[in-house]
Amino acid sequence: MGLIPILVFLSLSILIGLLARGKWRSWAILVVSVLSLYWLQPAIPIRHLDFWLPTLSLGLTVLVWQMIGSKNAERNRREDGITFAMIGALVFALGLTRYLGKGTFLAPTRPPNPGSIAFALLLLASLSLLITKLREKGLSLANIGAGLVLVCFILLKSQPLAEAVSRGLRVLSGQSSDLASASELQWLGFSYIAFRLLHTLRDHALDRLPPLTLREYLCYVLFFPALPAGPIDRAERFQRDLHSPASLTAKVGLEGGTRIVVGVFKKFVLADSLAYFALNAANASRVCSTAWLWIMLYAYGFRLYLDFSGYTDVAIGSGLLMGLRLPENFHQPYLKPNIAAFWNSWHITLAQWFRAYFFNPLTRTLRTAKVKLPAAAIILIGQISTMALIGLWHGIAWNFLLWGLWHGLGLFLHNRWVDMQRSHPRWFPQRLMEGHPLQVLSVFFTFHFVLLGWIPFVIPDVGQGMRLFLRLFGA
Amino acid sequence: MVDQIMAYISTELLKDPTRQIREDEPLISSGLIDSFGLVDLALFIEDTFGIRIEDVELTSSVFDTTSELAQLISKKLPSSTP
Repeated sequence: MGLIPILVFLSLSILIGLLARGKWRSWAILVVSVLSLYWLQPAIPIRHLDFWLPTLSLGLTVLVWQMIGSKNAERNRREDGITFAMIGALVFALGLTRYLGKGTFLAPTRPPNPGSIAFALLLLASLSLLITKLREKGLSLANIGAGLVLVCFILLKSQPLAEAVSRGLRVLSGQSSDLASASELQWLGFSYIAFRLLHTLRDHALDRLPPLTLREYLCYVLFFPALPAGPIDRAERFQRDLHSPASLTAKVGLEGGTRIVVGVFKKFVLADSLAYFALNAANASRVCSTAWLWIMLYAYGFRLYLDFSGYTDVAIGSGLLMGLRLPENFHQPYLKPNIAAFWNSWHITLAQWFRAYFFNPLTRTLRTAKVKLPAAAIILIGQISTMALIGLWHGIAWNFLLWGLWHGLGLFLHNRWVDMQRSHPRWFPQRLMEGHPLQVLSVFFTFHFVLLGWIPFVIPDVGQGMRLFLRLFGA
Repeated sequence: MVDQIMAYISTELLKDPTRQIREDEPLISSGLIDSFGLVDLALFIEDTFGIRIEDVELTSSVFDTTSELAQLISKKLPSSTP
């Protein structure tokens, strides 16, 4: 996301915060979010795919919303119907901009013809009705919904599968399949959308999800400031904020505005400056000096943090201007004295998501299983598998898996270290362990552990990453 | 209830029965209890009080202190339901 979208979002957030009250605020957020879905979608060489992918995000959100409806809960059919008609009209109107020639500024490229858009919307309405009927008969479709989201996720994140999909889509659209590439499937915000959908599907299955109108649900999943880079909010918390009587006071405006200014400075001044010499796959092989290699790695580590947390600041700031307080995603992660504390302060909402929906259920299952495993084995399994999955969330590739395993192993070793300290307090005098010198050393060690972990994260070729790792230590 | 929880945390999780835990002392956000310890704490509460603590509730946004945890348990106890 560039500066122009941020300035547009800032203006719209202020307008919504100042003018939209009550339900009009959620209507305004919905309209801007749906339009942003198309506007921010990168252009794709496959014909009309950059129109269909946002439409698919919208469609999946509507279908999952139908799946999470309770059999007994009364839904406001009229209001939900109006919301459906509104988003249908918006998508259709976006399609009509194809006749404006160069004026199609809201869609990345010329949209498909209105006939195919109308067909897609009719298909969505039919599927939506079908799910409602099945749900009213007591059939739970939450698992099918979760499966569907996961399939989309795997197709997108696995390079060979994404390439195959790209090839198939090119054949369908009558384009050359020789030019197929996995990088063509740039689906704006899907990683975050998928996690919001899965969270609501799971909480629905646990009967923990409050009833949500279609408008509330679309606002939650597609909330425009959090579309490109999160954070991953929770639906019930978002809904509470959406219903709170918000008014853009000078105090809130200052807080939100400051967050946006700080975010823009972090992203566009600091991170983008560091990007000139931050480590990447192309420059890694060209640098000869070990000292420069370290400098480039430091630059990458800080660039990544400033870039990502800068976007989060902008998202949180924009949310504040509209009366919605999105959860924090970073809390000085590079100043933490151990790797567990790092993961409590780096991409916090993602780590919490994996804890809630993977680590905790897995640990509980292993802890209560008939075959008793030692605590250390359960911790090892839990930490390694959770971190491996977090790694694969970034992309289904060996380098991301290696990054996840690096952190999983780090978390396991830290856990054992703490356990040893607690089991043998005499070996580790409290005064020494909590003393300033050891704390500084711990922060230094943890930061460098994380920094070295960024090597497989940034270098896709595992072999090249390994060689780089050794070169940093003079080998 | 709070005393039982505190005793379990200091004895089983922190392995230091002499450790005094304040009712308002942050347990999760401070890193005092790690994610594995939290699951064990949930299992202990479920066995002791006969209620279910959901996996999604094991987070500092739901409870972070023993007093907040006691409130969560009280809400779930059958006697508190109308």
